Amino acid sequence: MFESLLETVWLVPCYALLGGILALPWSPGIIRRTGSRPAGYVNLVMTFFSLLHSVLAFTATWNHPAKEVLIPWLSTVGLNLTINLELSSISVGALIIITGLNFLAQVYAVGYMERDWGWGRFYSLLGLFEAGLCALALCNNLFFSYVILEILTLGTYLLVGLWFSQPLVVTGARDAFLTKRVGDLFLLMGVLGLWTLAGTWDYQDLAIWAQTAKVDQTIITLVCLALIAGPMGKCAQFPLHLWLDEAMEGPVPSTILRNSVVVASGAWVLIKLQPVFSLSPVASSAMVGIGTVTAIGGSLIAIAQIDIKRCLSYSVSAYMGLVFIAVGTQQDEAALLLVLTHALSAALLVMSTGNIILNNITQDVTQLGGLWSRRPISGLAFIVGTLGLIAFPPLGSFWALVKLADGLWETQPWLVGIIIAVNGLTAFSLTREFSLIFGGKAKQMSERSPEVIWLMVLPMMVLFGFVLHLPLVLQSLSLLPDWAILNKDVVLLLIWSSIFGCSISGVIYLGNIAKPIRLPWKGLQDLLAYDFYTPKLYKVTIIFGVAQLSKFADMVDRFVVDGIVNFVGLFSLLGGESLKYSTNGQTQFYAFTILLGVGILGAWMTWPFWGIQFIDLIF
Amino acid sequence: MQLQYFLLLAAALFCIGIYGLITSRNAVRVLMSIELLLNAVNLNLMAFSNFIDSTLIKGQVFTVFVITVAAAEAAVGLAIVLAIYRNRDTVDMEQFNLLKW
Repeated sequence: MFESLLETVWLVPCYALLGGILALPWSPGIIRRTGSRPAGYVNLVMTFFSLLHSVLAFTATWNHPAKEVLIPWLSTVGLNLTINLELSSISVGALIIITGLNFLAQVYAVGYMERDWGWGRFYSLLGLFEAGLCALALCNNLFFSYVILEILTLGTYLLVGLWFSQPLVVTGARDAFLTKRVGDLFLLMGVLGLWTLAGTWDYQDLAIWAQTAKVDQTIITLVCLALIAGPMGKCAQFPLHLWLDEAMEGPVPSTILRNSVVVASGAWVLIKLQPVFSLSPVASSAMVGIGTVTAIGGSLIAIAQIDIKRCLSYSVSAYMGLVFIAVGTQQDEAALLLVLTHALSAALLVMSTGNIILNNITQDVTQLGGLWSRRPISGLAFIVGTLGLIAFPPLGSFWALVKLADGLWETQPWLVGIIIAVNGLTAFSLTREFSLIFGGKAKQMSERSPEVIWLMVLPMMVLFGFVLHLPLVLQSLSLLPDWAILNKDVVLLLIWSSIFGCSISGVIYLGNIAKPIRLPWKGLQDLLAYDFYTPKLYKVTIIFGVAQLSKFADMVDRFVVDGIVNFVGLFSLLGGESLKYSTNGQTQFYAFTILLGVGILGAWMTWPFWGIQFIDLIF
Repeated sequence: MQLQYFLLLAAALFCIGIYGLITSRNAVRVLMSIELLLNAVNLNLMAFSNFIDSTLIKGQVFTVFVITVAAAEAAVGLAIVLAIYRNRDTVDMEQFNLLKW
């Protein structure tokens, strides 16, 4: 029975898509009388089916070799596009994570979106996201991965723009779409370039090709850089990271998904393409460079934020940067493990902060405080999420980071330093956020702050349990690195960096230091708080360039192209207007023109008989 | 060589007629110029009939027809000039430029 469930696991994205479509009729314009809540319930049921199906299929696929499902899509001369699904324990495991987190986020949204009428739209987009992510997880073909990534980009635009009456939402959705789109378009160039080199888009075939490929180093480097650019935008890596900050304008439940899973969609493609990247050392170092800059920059920026959601979004960028480092140094397993542990912890953190936002209205951490005694559950969830995200044994990310650092210890020790620094900085920023929200004295905005309803607490607590149990699950699946062969120095360094980060932050923000904290260098603090002034950077470089170019092209179109065509019209008009004066009403003039015509015609026709003599006569 | 002299004379007369036709301001003088043209043509016809077709003299027959037609044409032309004169009180060709653009 499980076998047949595994064979039909491709139905999982279909359930989700069906849920998304079924949610649409409850849009306020269609079903006007009964409200839009059933949209959410329908989606929950469909997501639950997906989850159930994935879990049962996972038991069938565990310890079994991967299977393939081929669905022909398009066949033209010289090109057969076949949707190639991989049914392995990794892809089905990813399905469980996606559907599980989506299910929890949807339950959460039932509580969070209580006073919102837009459930039809919201849940149909969540369904679209779930379907897209599941399809991406199953898809074993670079081309279709690209197709799905583009659909998800559109989904992000619509989901961030859910409350489109807010101006910041509109700009945020615009930036999210365009930034990711730019990355995706570069990815398309890479995808097409790879076809001419490898002649295949299947990840397995690409890996086989990459083992023996002899290609021009410049070409493969360019192709690999283009392939990196797609995930770079998706994973909110520098310098394409601004969209994630602005995407925090969207509703919290969608943020759960975005921070945990959607940004990982880029990392997923990146991990799958790792064999290709290994062909080009330049691309690998570029990946490591991007990851390093983003990891350090993101975690520093996260420390300087005052918006409760933005504090978290920059940590997401930083952790995706670590995934970039992992892929750039050929550590797929560590990257996958990090994506998994990060997804669960980040989702838990967003859920916890969402609980705080809903009942305190403000998102400004400097206006919050003293919630620990009254919101212990949300506080505990935040703590567990934090510990799950940083290297704190025995929780999940500890193992992922240890695995990553251990792999780098021998070859590139400086990268271990980066990981330790990022870990410490993330520990600092998360403890800072915790201390500002839950510690200290209650402020005006958090004076009266009841815990939220069960619909939001329940998914948070379920996820809380999952984060706590993740090491056990990983151990039972024997996915943890072997303790015996681990480098204990790395482990100790990571643990110490977590402890340092947490304790220093705790001392600063829970101690008696005057708030708000001012750095001695105001410029630096502003630089980090304003995200290295990235919006301005975009504005003076790309946006300025494109805007000027557009204005120039518009002017060329208006004046030159239009002008030429209009000149033809104007010329003929003027010609008619001026030549009509040849009809001057004088009969004698008409007679004259007739004679002139006859004369010229006669002269021309008789020219051969007298022309030569005439010319001789003159000269 | 006599034919050429006749023809040259006729051509000269024709050109004089043309000049008069185009430059005259008086409508009657225009009609007179037209008569010059027709007479130049008649000279041509007569010359050709004498020097080329002296037996059948078809040119002379043509000339007779041209003279009669020219007479009729001059009559109608003068009638038109008179009609215009009645309306506009002038026979100046430069006043007759009403039918323009």
